[in-house]
Amino acid sequence: MFKKLIEESTGRSPWLFHINAGSCNGCDIELVSVLTPRYDAERLGFKLTGTPRHADIVVVTGPVTKQSLPRVLSAISQVPEPRCIVTMGSCPQSGNVFKGSYSVAGPLSKYVHVDVDVAGCAPKPEAVIDGLALAAKILKEKRGQM
Amino acid sequence: MDFPFAREAISKLFSKPSCNMYPAVPSEAAPNYRGRIVYHPDKCINCGMCERVCAGGAISRTIEKLDEGDRITMTFNLGSCTFCGHCAGFCSRSAIELTQDYHMIATREEDLLVSGSFIKAAPKKPAPKPGAPAAAPAAEAPACGAEAPAAEISPRDDGKPVNDPSKCVYCTLCAKKCPAGALTVDRAAKTWTLDEDKCVGCGTCAESCPKNAIII
Repeated sequence: MFKKLIEESTGRSPWLFHINAGSCNGCDIELVSVLTPRYDAERLGFKLTGTPRHADIVVVTGPVTKQSLPRVLSAISQVPEPRCIVTMGSCPQSGNVFKGSYSVAGPLSKYVHVDVDVAGCAPKPEAVIDGLALAAKILKEKRGQM
Repeated sequence: MDFPFAREAISKLFSKPSCNMYPAVPSEAAPNYRGRIVYHPDKCINCGMCERVCAGGAISRTIEKLDEGDRITMTFNLGSCTFCGHCAGFCSRSAIELTQDYHMIATREEDLLVSGSFIKAAPKKPAPKPGAPAAAPAAEAPACGAEAPAAEISPRDDGKPVNDPSKCVYCTLCAKKCPAGALTVDRAAKTWTLDEDKCVGCGTCAESCPKNAIII
């Protein structure tokens, strides 16, 4: 009975972990505005957490630089399954204007499976909320399969 | 006991929340917001300017040879786009548009591609040129700088540029700006040559000319 209750509650409130992989700070600011009172994603259950071990959804911003790559992978590997990886902005998807740079190791999809891409540079907070809602839906499906 | 903010706190308990209730209440992007790219292949003339100015390298062009001409496919990768709007600004035919649609969410990378294709008819080689018989050859002639006091230059019918040698200073700006590489300007020999097969008639040379010597 408790297991069912826990499953239902975790499905309603997926926790986020944010990784900055060399971002220009534009997407980070937009993500902060999603979580703060103006857009308040917490009313939909999305809560920012400080540690990857408590997270369900990982939001990655930035083009994944060579310096950040081992940290990104170690942080993602600590997120328990089922997890959902969301790329925010154009950078983690393709490298954007930084592609071809000596210090960029991205895109992120070369290393881990990416579930949701939110395009934009930076994406509007509304688009981020939509992306997170889609991620929560995917998470639910993954839980059902487990 | 003193509660300085008690009244404020109680009144806020019963007031409306100040946040945007986004998924319940739809929200529009601000005017002039640069969102999803819409490409109009019917207006495009395949000059390649958008590809040249794209900082993120989001635009790719494939040219496929067909019997009736070249099938040109332009693909815009929104996952690589900076949404700077340079491609739309530099497009001489307004074939690229950045809309207010910000819902760009995908689970597969292919969903973020915007593409369109059109068939550009092959240039007819032996076709006689009925229009502008006097002005065009004068502009194409190699040493056109020599015949400076030539008659008034009139624009051509096919939308391709004509140079006025009396105004031209052979600065080579037009040749540098030409996205198709159709212009050759020699400063020393004072020649301005147009490769008609390469020219797409975009008008970038006329816009870039500091002396307004090019008529289109």
